[in-house]
Amino acid sequence: MSPLLQGVLTIIIGVGGCVGYFYLSNLILDKVIFPPRADNPGRNINRANLVRPWLFLFPAMFALGLYLVYPVVGSFWRSLFNRSGDEFIGFGNYTTMFGDAGFQTALFNNFLWVLFVPAAATFLGLLVAQLTDRLSWGNIAKSLIFMPMAISFVGASLIWKFVYANNADIGLINAIRDMFGASEPLDVLQLRFWNNFFLMVILIWIQTGFAMVILSAALRGIPEETIEAAIIDGANPFQIFFKIKVPQIMGTIVVVWTTITILVLKVFDIVYTMTGGNFGTEILPSYMMSYMFRDDGRATAVAFVIMIIVLPVMIWNIRQARAEMR
Amino acid sequence: MKTKLYAGVASIALASGAAFADGHQPFAIGDGDFNWDSYNVFADQYDLSGQTVEVTGPWTGLDAENVEKVLSYFASATGAQVKYSGSDSFEQDIVISARAGSAPNVAVFPQPGLAADLASQGLLTPLPDGSADWMRDNYAAGQSWVDLGTYPDKDGNDQYYGLFYKVDVKSLVWYSPEAFDEAGYDIPETMEDLKALTDQIVEEGGTPWCIGLGSGAATGWPATDWVEDMMLRTASPEDYDAWVANEMKFDDPKVIAAMEEFGYFARNDAYVDGGASAVANTDFRDSPAGLFSIPPKCYMHRQASFIPTFFPEDSEADFFYFPAYEGKDFGKPVLGAGTLWAITNASEASNALIDYLKTPIAHETWMALSGFLTPHKGVDTSLYANETNKALGDVLLNATTFRFDASDLMPGEIGAGAFWTGMVDYTTGKDAAEVAKGIQDRWDAIQ
Amino acid sequence: MDNIAGTKSSLTWAVNLSVIFLVLLWLVPTIGLLVSSFRDRDQISASGWWLSPFPVEQNFRVRAPLDDLAQDGPLYVLEGNVFGEGSGSVSAFGGTSRAPDANEPGETAELTRDRTLTVAADGAFRYTSPAEIKREPSIYFASETPPDFSMGNYETIMASDNMDLAFINTLTVTIPATIIPILIAAFAAYALAWMDFAGRGLLIAIVVGLLVVPLQLALVPLLQLHNKVGIGQSFLGIWLAHTGFGLPLAIYLLRNYMVGLPRDIIESAKVDGATDFQVFTKIVLPLSFPALASFAIFQFLWTWNDLLVAKVFLPSNSESWVMTVKIADDLLGSRGGDWGILAAAAFISIAVPLVVFFTMQRYLVRGLLAGSVK
Repeated sequence: MSPLLQGVLTIIIGVGGCVGYFYLSNLILDKVIFPPRADNPGRNINRANLVRPWLFLFPAMFALGLYLVYPVVGSFWRSLFNRSGDEFIGFGNYTTMFGDAGFQTALFNNFLWVLFVPAAATFLGLLVAQLTDRLSWGNIAKSLIFMPMAISFVGASLIWKFVYANNADIGLINAIRDMFGASEPLDVLQLRFWNNFFLMVILIWIQTGFAMVILSAALRGIPEETIEAAIIDGANPFQIFFKIKVPQIMGTIVVVWTTITILVLKVFDIVYTMTGGNFGTEILPSYMMSYMFRDDGRATAVAFVIMIIVLPVMIWNIRQARAEMR
Repeated sequence: MKTKLYAGVASIALASGAAFADGHQPFAIGDGDFNWDSYNVFADQYDLSGQTVEVTGPWTGLDAENVEKVLSYFASATGAQVKYSGSDSFEQDIVISARAGSAPNVAVFPQPGLAADLASQGLLTPLPDGSADWMRDNYAAGQSWVDLGTYPDKDGNDQYYGLFYKVDVKSLVWYSPEAFDEAGYDIPETMEDLKALTDQIVEEGGTPWCIGLGSGAATGWPATDWVEDMMLRTASPEDYDAWVANEMKFDDPKVIAAMEEFGYFARNDAYVDGGASAVANTDFRDSPAGLFSIPPKCYMHRQASFIPTFFPEDSEADFFYFPAYEGKDFGKPVLGAGTLWAITNASEASNALIDYLKTPIAHETWMALSGFLTPHKGVDTSLYANETNKALGDVLLNATTFRFDASDLMPGEIGAGAFWTGMVDYTTGKDAAEVAKGIQDRWDAIQ
Repeated sequence: MDNIAGTKSSLTWAVNLSVIFLVLLWLVPTIGLLVSSFRDRDQISASGWWLSPFPVEQNFRVRAPLDDLAQDGPLYVLEGNVFGEGSGSVSAFGGTSRAPDANEPGETAELTRDRTLTVAADGAFRYTSPAEIKREPSIYFASETPPDFSMGNYETIMASDNMDLAFINTLTVTIPATIIPILIAAFAAYALAWMDFAGRGLLIAIVVGLLVVPLQLALVPLLQLHNKVGIGQSFLGIWLAHTGFGLPLAIYLLRNYMVGLPRDIIESAKVDGATDFQVFTKIVLPLSFPALASFAIFQFLWTWNDLLVAKVFLPSNSESWVMTVKIADDLLGSRGGDWGILAAAAFISIAVPLVVFFTMQRYLVRGLLAGSVK
């Protein structure tokens, strides 16, 4: 069977299976197990409603459990062992890691990334989404800004190489410096501390498209009436944006911010291909990758440190969710 | 008569299996000066019709085409089907597939260190009995090759796991004969001459060297080759071995001296194109282009035998042996590397494939395709595809000392990690002793 | 009144200008990649892409062929044209590679060993030597070269074996791997957003936590699992893997969107006797179209550009290569420095996601909720 046919079949079976599962399981729940006709219809409806969330959740929980929770638990166990995996060393990997200068640099840089990239990408994404919202050529503008999202990380690294190259003939930055009379080319990727920001720019360039798409969808979900009311009340465009629109899409802004924060904690490709973690640009994901498949204990230990960094973000999201549910 | 014979062989080959039906056998069986006897003997010995051998390795592009051509002779001799798949991220892929239990039959390791790692986890199968003895007898410097392929298994017992097939020479300096000729430079025979030539070029207003360490995640590796070559030229081979095994510490004065020998060239603004600060981040693939620009950006480039692939099209290049010190008595050491074939998923056919690699024909076919050097003593060296390859082979043969790339032998964290980044730190101005101590600390941490 | 209209139009101007500015800023690197994809490797490392549309002065070297050697009195003379059969304009010339542009055209350069060289602006040269010339001498000259673009990189990629198969494979991987997680996630998101049950907050927290799980952590155990249950390396395996890896973000984004839907619509539907299943399919799903569309775009992009998961969960033979694997391992591989191919590959693989983006963008419409909030 050709893979294409197989693919089409799978889509049909997969989609059909999913729909069938949800439909039938609900049907069975409502008609067979807890039929509202029986002696006690009220109680049965309540019971059915107790079970139903789990019917809705089951496929997702199963997939998440198998594909993410199971490996994570296994990995956590693994991170308590030494590099060859045969000796239990407790939190030995964690303590040696925190003593490692490379890890400390990576941790510090990662805080810079987490502070800077999500803020910049979300801000720019919101800006573009708002500015293009009622523009006649807004869709074209959005597509162009979205384009970097579609370029692979390797392609992106290549093109930024031609921006940063340490050569006025090839690197855009050095060509511009040259135009202004700088005599020696400058390798911006070797400028300690600042080089981190040059790498961040790449991820911001890519992720603004993401923020833009989600926020644009959210802006369009704002009921027209609220805006019309504000216009009638004589609000100016800035007031409408900050007082009416932003509060209504605050939840989405949090989501975008969170998603990009988490992405920052996972993306190693940019650092990996641009500097290989040299010149003091290591971040936790790239630090983890340099141990991955060599010293699994250490690599998984880094992964858990990353997860701990996300804890505040998780807590913030839970509180946000609570607030939404009133 | 001759055509008839050829037709006969061809029909036999066809009968023995349609597996090589892709038909890209570049040399007709029985033709030319190849050692076809070894092929026929091997073909008589095995009939593996219906079996498949999966081979995976680091080669892609041209090398992948060549290895497929070479393996097609194994297929036609045995009737087995051979599937090669190459990957740029071989090192990662093989670890994942071996651990998950879906490894191909045979893997081609560019780094013995990685093979040793997998062997210690019980993921490799020792080579068929007698392989080590065969290696000892038939390869130049056979014992050293056997040592490089012998690692402790899961229970700590030494086993012979890897057969070296395809060797690279690293102690080479590439140059443009045209540029040397015009400037009237002679090929330096000794390290003293090389340093004098370097100064002479600077005096005449040129830049002697192009050095680039950039290589994405592997940035820094070209510098490790420099240091290893310098180590062989400033210390004895025994010291080198001790260094590889970490019996001599990384921050030993001898190692630091070798690093500073590299720094002599790479950390001098006048010696390298773009100045010392350009070294660390110039891509190693772009770096040699300076040899061929007009006017030349540099005159010499030290790099392994694979580098001509990255030269600009139609450029004329030649190489000379990276010379040794006349004033030091360490002979003519050669640094090299090689790929090691090991069994990751044993089968009858995988053992047969390893046996096939011992036949002269397996070596000669790739020699004739170029890009292949071998220490096999039983091959006809006139079959090398071109003069450059033959000359490279001569470098290998004239070596009084051959040593394997140290960084490939060291544990991954060092040889493919701390050593790389340490050298980048060193070229960007960190003190050699400090860098060496940092690498040694990393090494201590993993023991 | 005029005043208000005036500020309005100046605001429109400001909006237009700033969007143009942002778009340009974003586009510059991408244009660089596009331009680079039409140049070969040597050109890319020789000059900046922004210079490529202009003629550049480049230095060249030619060998004067010895066949044309003639004697003119005491001198041996080589004559010819540096452009060979072609034509061009020499802006400077020289006899050594160190000083390839030392002389103006028409001048006579004195070389070593009493040799002389004259090159005219049209390329005609005359090389003289008092002694016999044994080796072909090199002549260096500078000349303007017109911009040179070619489709070569694209041809290399498109013409390589099995590229069509790789394209089909990629689609085969991507489409189910986009649709299935959306479907599963939509139900879960609805449950987390609008159904009341114990442990909901905890589940949301877990989903957020799972967002951060690095893929690399899961590869080996999952491949082991697939081998054990008999899926092995197959399309089924990669669909499941992408589904698992894509779910957290899908649930997170969709839940967030659904929770923002007006409560009264859903509650009034429930009062009218609709079950949760009906509420979900009849009201929530249609209203969530913008969110479904935006997630579909991203999931499609990730699976489309994914290299790692494809390498681990698909067999390594060339029949099951997807495009990223094909490009990374087969086309780039040992030619890793071939920036031109890399750029062209990036642009080939960008095409389909952009089409998807355009199609999906239609669903990011306004007004689905119009009239619902009263």
